[in-house]
Amino acid sequence: MSFLFRCENIGKTYGGVVALKDVSLNLESGQVHGLIGPNGAGKSTFIDVVSGRTPGLGRVFFEDREITGISPSAMRRAGISRSFQRTSIFPALTVRDQIELANHGTGGGNTGELVEMLGLGAVLDTEAEEISYGQQRLVDLALALVGDPRVLLLDEPAAGLSVQESAVLSGHLEEIAERWNVAVLLVEHDMDVIFRVCKVLTVLASGRFLVQGTSADIRNNPVVIEAYFGSTA
Amino acid sequence: MANQTLAHSFRESPILRPSGLIVLAILTATVVILTATGSRITLSLLAQATIISIMALSVGFLARTADLISFGHAAPFGLGAYGTALVFQHGIPAEVGIWLVLVAVFALFFVIGLVVGKLNGIAFSMLTLALGQFFFVAVSKLRAITAGADGMTVSLPRSLFGLPSRTFQTPDGMFIIAAVILAALVILIYLFEASRTGRLAIGVRENEERVLFLGYRTKILKAAVFATSATIAGVSGVLFALYQGFVSPEIMHWSFSGNALIMAILGGSLAVWGPVAGALVFFFLREWLSDLTEHWLAVLGVILITVTVAWPGGMTGLAKAMRTRISGRERNGGGK
Amino acid sequence: MIINALNGLVYGSLLFILASGLVLVYGLRRVVNFAHGAFYMLGAYIGYSVAIHAGFIPGIIAAAAVLIAVGVALDLVVFRKLADRDPLVTVLVTFGVLLVLEDFVRTVWGTGNYAIDPPALLSGVVQIAGAPFPIYRLFIVFASALMAGGMVIWLRYSRSGLWVRAASHSPVVAAMCGVRTNVLGPLVVGLGAAFAGIAGIVAAPFLSLNPSMGAEILVMSFVVSVVGGLGSFGGAFISAMILGQIQAFGVVYLPEIAALLPFLLMALVLVVRPQGILGNKV
Repeated sequence: MSFLFRCENIGKTYGGVVALKDVSLNLESGQVHGLIGPNGAGKSTFIDVVSGRTPGLGRVFFEDREITGISPSAMRRAGISRSFQRTSIFPALTVRDQIELANHGTGGGNTGELVEMLGLGAVLDTEAEEISYGQQRLVDLALALVGDPRVLLLDEPAAGLSVQESAVLSGHLEEIAERWNVAVLLVEHDMDVIFRVCKVLTVLASGRFLVQGTSADIRNNPVVIEAYFGSTA
Repeated sequence: MANQTLAHSFRESPILRPSGLIVLAILTATVVILTATGSRITLSLLAQATIISIMALSVGFLARTADLISFGHAAPFGLGAYGTALVFQHGIPAEVGIWLVLVAVFALFFVIGLVVGKLNGIAFSMLTLALGQFFFVAVSKLRAITAGADGMTVSLPRSLFGLPSRTFQTPDGMFIIAAVILAALVILIYLFEASRTGRLAIGVRENEERVLFLGYRTKILKAAVFATSATIAGVSGVLFALYQGFVSPEIMHWSFSGNALIMAILGGSLAVWGPVAGALVFFFLREWLSDLTEHWLAVLGVILITVTVAWPGGMTGLAKAMRTRISGRERNGGGK
Repeated sequence: MIINALNGLVYGSLLFILASGLVLVYGLRRVVNFAHGAFYMLGAYIGYSVAIHAGFIPGIIAAAAVLIAVGVALDLVVFRKLADRDPLVTVLVTFGVLLVLEDFVRTVWGTGNYAIDPPALLSGVVQIAGAPFPIYRLFIVFASALMAGGMVIWLRYSRSGLWVRAASHSPVVAAMCGVRTNVLGPLVVGLGAAFAGIAGIVAAPFLSLNPSMGAEILVMSFVVSVVGGLGSFGGAFISAMILGQIQAFGVVYLPEIAALLPFLLMALVLVVRPQGILGNKV
């Protein structure tokens, strides 16, 4: 079958240091694909290169059309959306204003459902700088989710959330992928979230592709365990 | 439910609220009373101060909307003024010519904005200083067009925009005209800020990268904000030329850009009206200081330092703090 | 032709010395000093007053000494206090300092033009390629080279120089490695101010003294810094030399628009390379 979003041989070099080399993966509509690996494995770099935030190597295809190197703005307009590991929102705008901004001025589409799902209804008219950190993370996520994207690249959406909040978020991610038929790439450190929502996982280590498989395969794969815990394990 | 709240997103600009209208009414009354009772000298000062406060408004608008500090706004001001002088010199009907001047200022600074929009805060400030100096030198050197350092006389036709030209050159006439234009511009800026584009501009100011990742192209918007600010300075320049009847390169000198900036900072950018208040205070303060001491330049420098360091919000910051205190007291009183 | 190129070299050297003061301070403090031109002017006037009574060399020393003091004070009172505020606030404060210094110069020395003769030893001309050329202008190049050379040696071979380079490269990383910006601050800002002051008195016999000299040179050194790339010595050197030549040849061949050429160069560079010739990508 043909995949909605394909990344081929993605790579990135900083100065002389190889941060990421030849990583390929494909995303399918309605499915959450997890991208995991120890710190420094190149997960965030992968999203940054694919989304056009930093220049890098490799090719990106969306609906079998090559979109390598198009601007972040064009990418979003094509239906590919991303969130940020370090909260990237608009502190002086109210939550409502920025969600509308993200949705290009309309309150239509999935907006209402989304606000309800993320529990942002109570803070809609509060400036983002006034709300809690957990809520700011949700606003960051909302900015990526709004406007019916086809592909979602999520960079550690659960970072900084409490255990309960993460659990709730996991539920939402599953729902979003299935109900809205979105292809999701999820970079996440929280393994509870990963194993709960991801059907397929790609594991990176030191900027290289390590292994790919279903959650169950990966969970018991000795190679992955070694990458995470070192040879002493 | 939530969908409805979002769809119903009509937001009122503060200027459209009853309080805004009351402020407007009070200001109108003030203008009328001042015009009726003020001495010729006071009115002349008021006319000049109002014209210059439009200039300060333009600098403040850029600072507020784009977080960019311009050290070169004397350039669009001067181009507006010289443009006006040239329109009359070449006998172009003012009703067309003055609009053309403003359109030209917008277009020119839009193009410049496309280039300088890539720069961050400090580089932008340095560049605008250099840019201002470029136009200052250009106007001084292009004697064939601008008569160089001698300056140009602005010779008005008998009537202008349906009014006798004398209206534009008498203190009370110009005071009212400038005040009306100033009020209109302030209202327009308030409306802009409440609009979608205004919020997008704030988004760009706060986090341009995210705006790009939300699918917007920001280059055009940034250039347009810059050009709009320059055009407001141009309007100020047009009024200046009409009122003074004379333009010379001094009005494009960097020190004038600097003064406009000081006015904007004195007023603060927490509210749209800040720079206007700053300009009025600056103008009368300078008038008072220059009677009192020759060292008003140094005094201005000290004021600038004090305000930026100790009082970053300027007068608007003070107003906000007072309002918070008052409303806090009300809330406390109501609770009991 | 050669004379033109030499004149360009003279002007370019002055611009480089001025711009390197800006670059030095920007590197450490991430702030552009708008009073830099006023420092140059102050150096020229102080040097002038001392020189007419005590001789040229004491004039240079006095200019340097006063400006070091001003620079150190600026760092201690302004830059250090405002280190964690928006850099633009600091920029505005330096603009206020500029206004105060301009008023000071106008009050003490008036608004007239002053001219000062070069010291006897350096007056007169030499024949270069069959044309006379003032010895003093060669001295300007020599003095600039000396200052630039001293600065490069300091930056390359001393511990404090290494710290300054580290801080210019990345203030955060340098701070984590134990570079103490606040200790270096007075040194660097004092030095930057002294460069401006010395440039002022050294240029005085070549240009003339008036209260607007500071603003003119400030604009030109901004053009040099922006064209070269903010915070880059190499870039400042290249662009100062180019601008010197443009100025020298422009005056001769395109007198009408010579004063505009530097700005046109700036516009051109910014369109092609917004971060400047050797600037880091923003």
